Amino acid sequence: MKKGKKYFKSPYIKGDEKYLHDEFSEKLPLDHFVSNQNENSNNTSRRDFLKFLGFSTAAAVLSSCEAPVVKSVPYLNQPEEIIPGVANFYASSYFQENNFANILVKTREGRPISVTTNKDYEKNNQFGGGLNSRGYASVLSLYDSNRIKNPLKNNKEITWNKLDSEIKKALKETSKKGKKIVFLSSTIISPSFKEILNTFSKKFRTTEIVYSDSISKSAILESNSKCFGESFIPTYNFHKAKVVVSFEADFLGDWLDSSYGRKYSQLRNPGKNMSKHYQFESLLSLTGSNSDKRIPTNPDEQLNYLNYLYSKISMSQSNLEIINKKHKAILDNVCEDLLKNKGKSLVISGSSNTEHQIVVNAINYLLDNYSKTIDYNNKSNLYSSINSNFQKFIKDVENNKVGAVIINDVNIAYNHPSVINQLNNIKLKVSMSDSLNETTRLMDYVCPKSHYLESWGDAKPYSAVYSIQQPTINPIFNSRQVEQNLLKWMNSQATYYDFLKSFYKSLGYNKSWNKILHDGFCEVDYEKRNLVFSSDTAINILKENNVNTKNSNDVFLVLYSKGSMGSGYQSNNPWLQELPDPITKVTWDNYLTISPAHAKSLGLKNWHVANGGLNGDVVNIKFDENVENIILKVPVYIQPGQKENVLGMAFGYGRENSGKVANGVGVSAFELYKKLSLVHKNNFTIEKVKGVEHEYACTQNSHTMMGRSIVKETTLNEYLKNPKSGNKDFKLESYKGSVAASELNLYQEHKPSVHFWNMSIDLNKCNGCGACVIACHAENNVPVVGKEEVRKNRDMHWLRIDRYYSSDMNKDLASEQGIGAIEMYKLMEEPSVAENLEVVFQPVMCQHCNQAPCENVCPVAATTHSNEGLNQMTYNRCIGTRYCMNNCPYKVRRFNWFNYKDNDDFDFNMNDDLGKMVLNPDVTVRARGVMEKCSMCIQNIQKTKLDAKKERRKVRDGEINCACETACDTGAIVFGDALDEKSRISKEKKHPRTYALLEELNTQPSVFYKTKVRNKN
Amino acid sequence: MFLMFGKTTLYFSFFLFTFCSFFSFGQVDYLVGHDIQKGEELFKANCTSCHKLGDEKKARLIGPGLNVEIFEEYTQEWLIEWIRNSSALIETGDEQAIAIFEEYNQSVMTAFPTLSDDDVRDILAYIENPPVEEVAVVEVVENKDVKSENISTQTLLILVLALVSVFGFLTFLKNSLKKASNIEETIFQGLKKWVSSNIAIVLIVVHLGVLVVIVIGWQSLSKIGISQNYKPAQPIEFSHKLHAGEQGIDCNYCHSSARKSKHSGIPSANVCMNCHANIVEGPVHGTKEIAKIYKAVGYDVDSRSYIEGYEQQPIKWVRIHNLPNHAYFNHSQHVVAGNIECQECHGAIEEMDVVYQKEKLTMGWCINCHRDSKIDLDNPYYHEYDDWVEKHKKADLTVEDIGGLECGKCHY
Repeated sequence: MKKGKKYFKSPYIKGDEKYLHDEFSEKLPLDHFVSNQNENSNNTSRRDFLKFLGFSTAAAVLSSCEAPVVKSVPYLNQPEEIIPGVANFYASSYFQENNFANILVKTREGRPISVTTNKDYEKNNQFGGGLNSRGYASVLSLYDSNRIKNPLKNNKEITWNKLDSEIKKALKETSKKGKKIVFLSSTIISPSFKEILNTFSKKFRTTEIVYSDSISKSAILESNSKCFGESFIPTYNFHKAKVVVSFEADFLGDWLDSSYGRKYSQLRNPGKNMSKHYQFESLLSLTGSNSDKRIPTNPDEQLNYLNYLYSKISMSQSNLEIINKKHKAILDNVCEDLLKNKGKSLVISGSSNTEHQIVVNAINYLLDNYSKTIDYNNKSNLYSSINSNFQKFIKDVENNKVGAVIINDVNIAYNHPSVINQLNNIKLKVSMSDSLNETTRLMDYVCPKSHYLESWGDAKPYSAVYSIQQPTINPIFNSRQVEQNLLKWMNSQATYYDFLKSFYKSLGYNKSWNKILHDGFCEVDYEKRNLVFSSDTAINILKENNVNTKNSNDVFLVLYSKGSMGSGYQSNNPWLQELPDPITKVTWDNYLTISPAHAKSLGLKNWHVANGGLNGDVVNIKFDENVENIILKVPVYIQPGQKENVLGMAFGYGRENSGKVANGVGVSAFELYKKLSLVHKNNFTIEKVKGVEHEYACTQNSHTMMGRSIVKETTLNEYLKNPKSGNKDFKLESYKGSVAASELNLYQEHKPSVHFWNMSIDLNKCNGCGACVIACHAENNVPVVGKEEVRKNRDMHWLRIDRYYSSDMNKDLASEQGIGAIEMYKLMEEPSVAENLEVVFQPVMCQHCNQAPCENVCPVAATTHSNEGLNQMTYNRCIGTRYCMNNCPYKVRRFNWFNYKDNDDFDFNMNDDLGKMVLNPDVTVRARGVMEKCSMCIQNIQKTKLDAKKERRKVRDGEINCACETACDTGAIVFGDALDEKSRISKEKKHPRTYALLEELNTQPSVFYKTKVRNKN
Repeated sequence: MFLMFGKTTLYFSFFLFTFCSFFSFGQVDYLVGHDIQKGEELFKANCTSCHKLGDEKKARLIGPGLNVEIFEEYTQEWLIEWIRNSSALIETGDEQAIAIFEEYNQSVMTAFPTLSDDDVRDILAYIENPPVEEVAVVEVVENKDVKSENISTQTLLILVLALVSVFGFLTFLKNSLKKASNIEETIFQGLKKWVSSNIAIVLIVVHLGVLVVIVIGWQSLSKIGISQNYKPAQPIEFSHKLHAGEQGIDCNYCHSSARKSKHSGIPSANVCMNCHANIVEGPVHGTKEIAKIYKAVGYDVDSRSYIEGYEQQPIKWVRIHNLPNHAYFNHSQHVVAGNIECQECHGAIEEMDVVYQKEKLTMGWCINCHRDSKIDLDNPYYHEYDDWVEKHKKADLTVEDIGGLECGKCHY
């Protein structure tokens, strides 16, 4: 111990009198607990209390004497494939908000209770798609109380027959008059649907099909059309890219395709083949957090850097100057790496600006990446909307050329609020939507659309695959598929099912109808040819783009989408609202993200209040564009790592008329998406709203690890030299000498008898997306508690993902510079400056300790250890002392403060019969007053063991799946029997990167982590 | 087996007819040297799904009712031939045979080539001497369960006793007061005096009283939530005794999911209809109870067909065995992996007319069985325990040894 070094003395800091007198920096909310004035006036006397007590006890005893009569109603005609109590799985397809996935739907007694990706499908790297958190949550949207129950005319219910005949008549009239019938739709990837649309437009000659995706990827389509003469979106082969350079593209979060996380992770195993990932971005995205080197840059700088890269790679003359010397060095490095890995690299951009995309294309072309890491033959069909087409449609409406509009899955009033008034020009407005939203209330007719789990369908998401969609439940409401509507309006007698079946046969694929229904997909041959980069475009690249970035006063506003909310299609889904944002960890909200320095200059703050909640200032954003003023009142969230003078705001919030969950949560960023551009520059001002505070519900309040090794980290170079680097064993000094903590046991050890269930989490592969949290929600009936409760840290997630920022301060640095302990810890709380900031994610669930601190303190033995190494929680024994919760060093136990089902105060999915249909019947719904936590999906363990016993065999490795493991696309989570020496988990356990969380406590967890390795110099 | 016959026996109906002509002269033949008892067995095994004993028209099932009259109409040889293979007889152009064939809408009676002449004669002997009809005692199932009935009589008794004692005490009080008014010493003073001189007796009585109250209280409290002997009335008076006992239908025929699922499953009405499409009348309730199935599924007995467009009505059975929601129980685990017979937990179902809950179904009951039950070490799954057995020098492993008493095995 160095002399003169200060360690913790007292909370009193010289000069800060506040600490001397007040233990608490602000008034404690005691009133809330004690009782308020009104209640005092009602004085309930002690005698009354005893009366109530006596009465309620007597009533409880009396009522428990007589058991209710339980009725059991069997099927009258039991379907052959259904055995009550046994789950069925069906292959199907998911396509929502431009996300595609080939899925397996798990149904119990005919109702879907969860979806997972089809692992057979994912084996093929050519096929994209996959489920993100929204995909996993989509099963709950099937049981959304906001779904439309009956067809509507002017918001009043009518019958299908009446609706059909009226619309048919109106369509005929419109086409007779020569006015346009516009079919406004989000991207359609179903070939059979397109076929029906074709016939439809032949019957009604004036039909025009306009695609409008809520967040358009028009820039990529248009840039390809300029570069290759063809408008398309290629598939990116991240699994072949050894160098990935991304400009603002959040490909692990919510960019083009949900398969990129899976593919990217294939080259993220530490070793000689590990890819290197640079991320240039203005906001802190999920992808940036996972990159090896992250360079905060604003959108203008990005264009310049792209141009710089292009000029260096093409070796052309350019007078581009990079002002920032550090960035120039990095760019030179990037350039070197790219040239070394020609054909094995990938440069991408998430910009909505076509110029950016053209330069990116040119760079990739020069690097010989086309047809290697970028497959332009195997096209992605997930985005078809082209901005100019949509704008033309709006013009047509203004000019009264459109007589009818049929809207399919486009929430035009929400996505383009500025065009609401123009819509009145259209005589016939029909919307086909599965739930009520901002658009449906403006429509003449609303046709309730069946949910995708109730519908037949097919999909051609990529050139290489054809995928089928089958219903797993009868339509719950009086809804119809869009395809069926069109068939009806064309006077066709056919059902869509018959149409689809014959359509599939006409395609002539090699799988029979039954076979494709079983497999869910079919591989398809596609045309392969070479595309040539247009030389005209190439010549113009460097001429056009020279942005002056010297002006440091430029302020940008960048719109982005969260992985959990996307464009807000499922914002009435409480699971998604309660899923913390992977970076900010804020639930039930969107906000204006701002860099710490920028906030300081504007006097904006975030602070914690006495109950632990986070509060923030509120600002007005004023746009003075196009005469009409837009003013948005938005709370501010200070985001470390964000580029200075760039603000960020997420889509998907600020809904109206969208159901009990979504209404009034957050602010709609679509108000600012006017020209379909994600970036605004200098055309707005922000000013603080005085006297207004916003309350956040944030699940993680500390930003850094405070010098502890919770997430262990190393670099690739170090790792290659020593696989144990960054993973130093923890030793305790004892009379035996320096020993591992596990050798100093006070308690008798638990010896697992036959199985020993262990889980390994690879921190190098976990990208923090949160799909596992939702999958766990669905599997284990985890309740939703709402914003107020989350704010009180009463969130119920069994699995959370901790996010830590790096800090510039560490113990070594402090001792070098002679900084005292108090000051050191204070500095440690501060995340690094933007340039240096690194982010790590760590999923934490119950660690199933074999020396569990929780088990020892339970007075009623409600939490015990199993002979298979599991820490069991027995709800019916629990009396709710919460000792275990206090004694758990990992803070993974969750207490049911209330009954979350059938409780009007928690009006989410468990408060109505419809929403409760999603519950997993194999897992108890917990009552008030009991503790709960991760069980390692014990219901699946027990089921698989039983299957093995019944089939008279052993349990196979990989046969048991925890929900989180199944949901993890990147394969970060591995679960298995550690007593089976051949199992995957046994190998993981012996791996040099493996470590236990808080090893020094000697809790001997059954869950272990693998060191994060960054590929940086 | 029952199902198989259910379908084929449709044609068996003709049996009856054949017999009629025989009777007048064949009567003695059948009686002498033929085993009526064997005939009864054969009849029940082969014929009952289509025929009943009784008048041709009145006891008609699928085929005609059978009684002595058939012997008047048909010869013995003809009957044997008909029963063995009726269609062959029809093909020969036999007039009697064709007449029956036409009368029964050209449906063919099942052939029984395996029956020997003697067998058929035994059957005929049985038909000739039908068992003396017992007066069917229809058990009326009370709408209350047995338990609650017991309780109510008990309480009634206690109430009466309490009233009597209160009455006695009051009379005693009245008399004492009368006495006391004459004497200086009040009744309470007298009582006090008596108590202080007999303190030992009082203490013993008081203690005993408290003890009795505690024991009775404890016992009655511990019965809360336990519904042993629960015997609710069901919407259809279905008799397991008849189906599983007398007819010998395997439990798994109706409760097929017991081997596959956590639920044993209540059979859907289509399983009932496998047999009851043809069997329209039962031995106890006649057509009354079976008609309830037809009402549920929409089946027309006269035309033997399902009514089109019928709005089916589910049958709402009353669940007897109710485990609390937080307890996980899996039938297939016990039936397949554990090799347990249904009766071990459900009692002799095959003897119950109305099913009731035989066991307590408390956790203690579960655990006791888990302590005693041996696991099947021949099952390759349990080979993982081989080392374990060796190490602990145990010959047999019980469910307890492999963790069957742990909370998390049943509660999650």
